[in-house]
Amino acid sequence: MSHLSALTPRDRALAFLRERWDLVALVVLAVAPLCIPALGGALGGQVTTLFIYCILALGLNVMVGYTGLVHLGIAAFFGIGAYCYAILTVPMYPFQMRFALAAAISGLAAAAVGLALGAPTLRLRGDYLAIVTLGFGEVVKVTLRNLEQITGGMKGLNPVPPPGAGVRLGDMDLGLAFAVDPRWFYYLALLVLAGVVVAMRRLENSRLGRAWVAVREDELAAAAMGISATKVKLSAFAMSSAVAGLAGCLYAASLSTTADPNAYDFNRSIMVLCAVILGGLGSIPGTLLGVALLVGFDTVLAPWADAWIQQMNINPTGSSLLSFSGWRLAVFGLALILVMRFRPAGLVPSRRLAAELHEVHG
Amino acid sequence: MPLLEVTDLVAGYGPIRALDGVSLEVEPGELVAIIGANGAGKTTLLMAISGVVPPRAGGIRFAGRSLAGLPPHEIMRAGIGHAPEGRRIFPRLTVRENLELGGFARDDRGQVARDIDEACGLFPVLGQRMAQLGGTLSGGEQQMLAIARALVGRPQLLLLDEPSLGLAPLVVAKVFEVIKALSARGIGVLLVEQNARAALKLAARGWVLETGRVTLTGSGAELAADRRVRDAYLGEA
Repeated sequence: MSHLSALTPRDRALAFLRERWDLVALVVLAVAPLCIPALGGALGGQVTTLFIYCILALGLNVMVGYTGLVHLGIAAFFGIGAYCYAILTVPMYPFQMRFALAAAISGLAAAAVGLALGAPTLRLRGDYLAIVTLGFGEVVKVTLRNLEQITGGMKGLNPVPPPGAGVRLGDMDLGLAFAVDPRWFYYLALLVLAGVVVAMRRLENSRLGRAWVAVREDELAAAAMGISATKVKLSAFAMSSAVAGLAGCLYAASLSTTADPNAYDFNRSIMVLCAVILGGLGSIPGTLLGVALLVGFDTVLAPWADAWIQQMNINPTGSSLLSFSGWRLAVFGLALILVMRFRPAGLVPSRRLAAELHEVHG
Repeated sequence: MPLLEVTDLVAGYGPIRALDGVSLEVEPGELVAIIGANGAGKTTLLMAISGVVPPRAGGIRFAGRSLAGLPPHEIMRAGIGHAPEGRRIFPRLTVRENLELGGFARDDRGQVARDIDEACGLFPVLGQRMAQLGGTLSGGEQQMLAIARALVGRPQLLLLDEPSLGLAPLVVAKVFEVIKALSARGIGVLLVEQNARAALKLAARGWVLETGRVTLTGSGAELAADRRVRDAYLGEA
């Protein structure tokens, strides 16, 4: 009690933020569209994309953060989710399912592909697993491009109908509402993200979550505890892939197209991986912050700065040296170098990694 | 019927035969010591019993049941606890989490919690360190944690690999005292030790391993009195 009373209101506010950052963020994000009109426009779409990347990164974090398996092809599962959802909903196919059902099936399909990739590669660790997942990512991209009859090739599949198409809410068509006002998607993505965060927290403290960490720490010791490394790693593969697939559904639905297969290439995998590492491996708030910074920079800040430069007529010749996005990757790289130099466990390190690095330095 | 029965066990790594026809047995609640020089195959023997190194030939029967072909996690579930060489605790998990993982294979959470308390009764220092990360414990505390963690799995047989390695003499005495208490409680113990003197003093029976073969066997006292053992392992000329 005595030390509490010694705290200034500012300290107390900070402590509250540290404890309940999740609630504060959720309330702020839920109220924001009501206060910021720009979220009803292009910005709303960009922030929705940000939420979707947060979901994707939380999925990747299961493998890379909790279980310690290097994965360089998460975008492939993002793509599988997106295409699967599109196939189940676009008018050119006979299925035309509702959003929730199609999303569930797409998540499961991505998980099944994850299992199929995981089963033969379970014995691989580190660099070797990295190469396999990297190769798999390329295979998926090229397959999506070449299976033109099914995937539409470079055109992708479209139009992907908005969620709730044909559902009437009073005298309003829900699908139309989604199509007209990006705030509907904003709230849908936020809701799914919140659900994924809650699920990840529960997983962290579940038997399975403990087993992931035990296998990451020491496979032999884990086996001596009666933990089957095979099953545990497969479950991590499946969970990562399912969450990534779910993110893919939202992505395709929010863009109303799968976009072309290049949207699911290596760059995307690396960007998400960088976000997880930058934020803090195995840390939920870290992962979210990493995405907000890296992807936010890429999808919100960079286009905005480009537009501003154009508006101010600073760059009439269109030289890439004078456009903001021309410097995008340099800024990326610099940020990563600085973080790895000064906060090697990430911006918001998970408790365990922080402890280990502290031990090494101290 | 012996609790553990190993017959003509052959195991190795690639072209190397680390075990070349080893036979031994452990009765329920018996404390058995394996002594031998570096490279004699002691650690491989424990790894083969716990399934980490799959045997190439020979048999391992535990409580009347063959362990052939079982993966390590199922052998553990059958009742064999392993505190491996180098302790192998989870350094980035807390002491409590380490102990809870020891009970991972069990369903009765309440009983696991009581067993954790009991293990801390054996090693009171662990009870004071519950919230600390495993990696921050001293070597002796880590060894105690490794043994306690294996005990939470409720083994009928405990495989202990070099529990005294790198520990101060006082700590070794404490660890050995607990090992003796375990066997008094009916847990069979297969103890691999460099510290042959202390191990033979404790053990009911011992086996001497040399380059993958058993060269001598007898009661702990017999072996400790044996000329060859004294020359080779007890440092008496």
